[in-house]
Amino acid sequence: MPSSPRLAADWFDGRSARAQPVEVWLAGATLHFGDQTAPLHSLTWPERQRHGQRQVLLPGGGLLSFADAAAFDAWALASGRSDSALVRWQQSWRLAALSLVLLVASLWAAYLWGLPWAVDRAVDVLPRAAEQRLGEHLLSGLDSDLLKPSGLAADRQRAWRQRWDKSLSQARANGGPAVPERFEIHFRDGGKALGPNAFALPGGDIVITDQLLELLDDEPDAVLTVLAHELGHVQHRHGLRLMLRAGAIGVVASVVVGDFSTLLAAAPALLASNAYSRDNEREADLYARTLARAGGVDASRMAVFFERVAKKREAAVESHPVAIAISSHPADEERVKFFGEP
Amino acid sequence: MLDIDAASTAAPLPSPAPRVLEIRFTGSGSEYFRIWAVNLLLILVTLGLYLPFAKARRIRYFYANTLVDGQALSFHGDPWKMFRGFLLLVVLMGAYTFAGKVSATAAVVAFLILCAVWPALWRASLQFRLGNTSWRGLRMRFDGALKDAYLACAPLYLPLIAFVVWSRLNVPDAVDRAAVEAYGRTSLLVMGVVLLLSPLSFALFKRYQHDGYRIAGQQARLDLSNGRVYLLSLKLVGVTLASTLLSGLVVGLLAFGVFALIGFKPDMSSPFAQAGFMAIGLLVYLLVFAVVLPFGAARMQNLAWNGTRSQALSFRSALKFRSLFGLTLKNWLLTALTLSLYRPFATVATARLRLEAVQIESQDDPVDWVAASLPGHADATGDIAGDFFGIDMGL
Repeated sequence: MPSSPRLAADWFDGRSARAQPVEVWLAGATLHFGDQTAPLHSLTWPERQRHGQRQVLLPGGGLLSFADAAAFDAWALASGRSDSALVRWQQSWRLAALSLVLLVASLWAAYLWGLPWAVDRAVDVLPRAAEQRLGEHLLSGLDSDLLKPSGLAADRQRAWRQRWDKSLSQARANGGPAVPERFEIHFRDGGKALGPNAFALPGGDIVITDQLLELLDDEPDAVLTVLAHELGHVQHRHGLRLMLRAGAIGVVASVVVGDFSTLLAAAPALLASNAYSRDNEREADLYARTLARAGGVDASRMAVFFERVAKKREAAVESHPVAIAISSHPADEERVKFFGEP
Repeated sequence: MLDIDAASTAAPLPSPAPRVLEIRFTGSGSEYFRIWAVNLLLILVTLGLYLPFAKARRIRYFYANTLVDGQALSFHGDPWKMFRGFLLLVVLMGAYTFAGKVSATAAVVAFLILCAVWPALWRASLQFRLGNTSWRGLRMRFDGALKDAYLACAPLYLPLIAFVVWSRLNVPDAVDRAAVEAYGRTSLLVMGVVLLLSPLSFALFKRYQHDGYRIAGQQARLDLSNGRVYLLSLKLVGVTLASTLLSGLVVGLLAFGVFALIGFKPDMSSPFAQAGFMAIGLLVYLLVFAVVLPFGAARMQNLAWNGTRSQALSFRSALKFRSLFGLTLKNWLLTALTLSLYRPFATVATARLRLEAVQIESQDDPVDWVAASLPGHADATGDIAGDFFGIDMGL
């Protein structure tokens, strides 16, 4: 039997700090050091690296220390110990770079397919009651913050509600799209911050601002289409999806970006929510057009809405330029065309 | 091997003069980069389950490259035990998050439970980390008492707990203006109290940690008065103010100079000009952090380690603010430019600077030390808890 290669090591027995010089060699599945032995499977073998010392941890708290790392690696190789796949992997620049590429690719795949899938499953499972509570919570938060009670006279509110109910019942009679089980229209003053606006919250609460009603006072069909659009968001539970997505992305981003900055961690979540909301807008637009047509409402009047909001926006640039610069708007023209399609 | 007869018959050696145990860090950024890249991928494809294994491999790399008097540290932690601890923490945090979604009362109860177990987890993490660290084959230990962990946490925890319970159970009605104002005033008051107490808490945390460190027969003690920590905090406030003024002035003058040079008159009503000014503000903000964070880190490391000694050991930490500031700037800049690919290099460079700033002076020759007791079996739950929230050894 050829003699196995030997190497000098410092043995620390775990009780004394004094190094005991020993010779180390491998015989089968046993490591010999001096007059001691230990089975290989009981050891913690060091990973091959360019730097640092090599230590073989022994059962019971002792260790063998090898100051010359290169000599240890040569000895281990000559003794028939090959690198683990993991060590080979991280020793190679090419494979390390590949793992980064795979990392980015799998993050991208998870974002593109995994996240929407997981969110859809979560939305299916989440009870409507929980969603509704979330919406109520959000609305009360908005009420204390950005929204004020509506200044619209009660009879005007009633008139809008009647128009809306009439279009809905007509749509139902004409076999229009399914309507969510629960939804409610709230009139509010959006103040300067929100201006002419309408939005749907998770759970079916739809807020429409006085400013929007004022802007489209002479265009009831545009108002009804806007409301139908918001109802589309409710029907597809977009609000809940959006919150789940933003939340999940925020968690992943904070893990990946780590301690660097909360600012950086928040950015991807923000960007992603905008990207998602575009898809959602298209879905809600389709719903709105179908519902409006079934309800005898002229959806092409949305052109007026886009035109007036654009004009408002231009005027607002003078007073709130940054707010406009960072907010996203799907291409108006495309949407005008969509609503105007015969 | 060990010739006991020869050792006992030799003439007794005179007690050696104090010797310096140098700390050297030999890790390399490019090598750690590859470990990091592989770890990240494995963590992702296992949906995070690989995290404790990655952590054990990271600690092993850093320990194998931390040489104290020419001998590297070793990490004996069992990744499977760390995995158990990791799962327990995931369950704990998951339950906490879930409770927050159910109701306000459930959230308060979960918060109280978390507060109640946190000091114990902190202590367990110190026990695990120290108990699995060895040098020259000698295990370190952490000997802090459980009661003292709670006492160290009390000054910061109690006002926070009281406030959280109070605020979650007394959410003001949005319509009631007076109630909202009272709520805001109380929040500010509590924030002030917590800020005033945080230097005291820092001193208590550090004393608890360092007083518990053990190796062989050595028992560490930290001599750190509250007054010195408060003095450092005052300096920190001063540095924050000064750096805000200075970086604001420098960045402002620079922008003004550039505008004057190219003859550009910013139109304040244009969105580009406003976005530009926001960017300038952000730059000032980041500069302030780039000054304040390394200043605090350097001074606190020096304060904590310069006061630490044991029967035979005394520590000297001479971490210079200027070097840490330069390194922080470089790390941030390169990390941002490389979309965080530079992070492992930054980690290694920071570890080198912070570790090599410390020197240990020993009255004994550590070669003569013997283990004080058998290595204990610490639970790994606390170790991950410590890492989760960045509570870790100060060194």
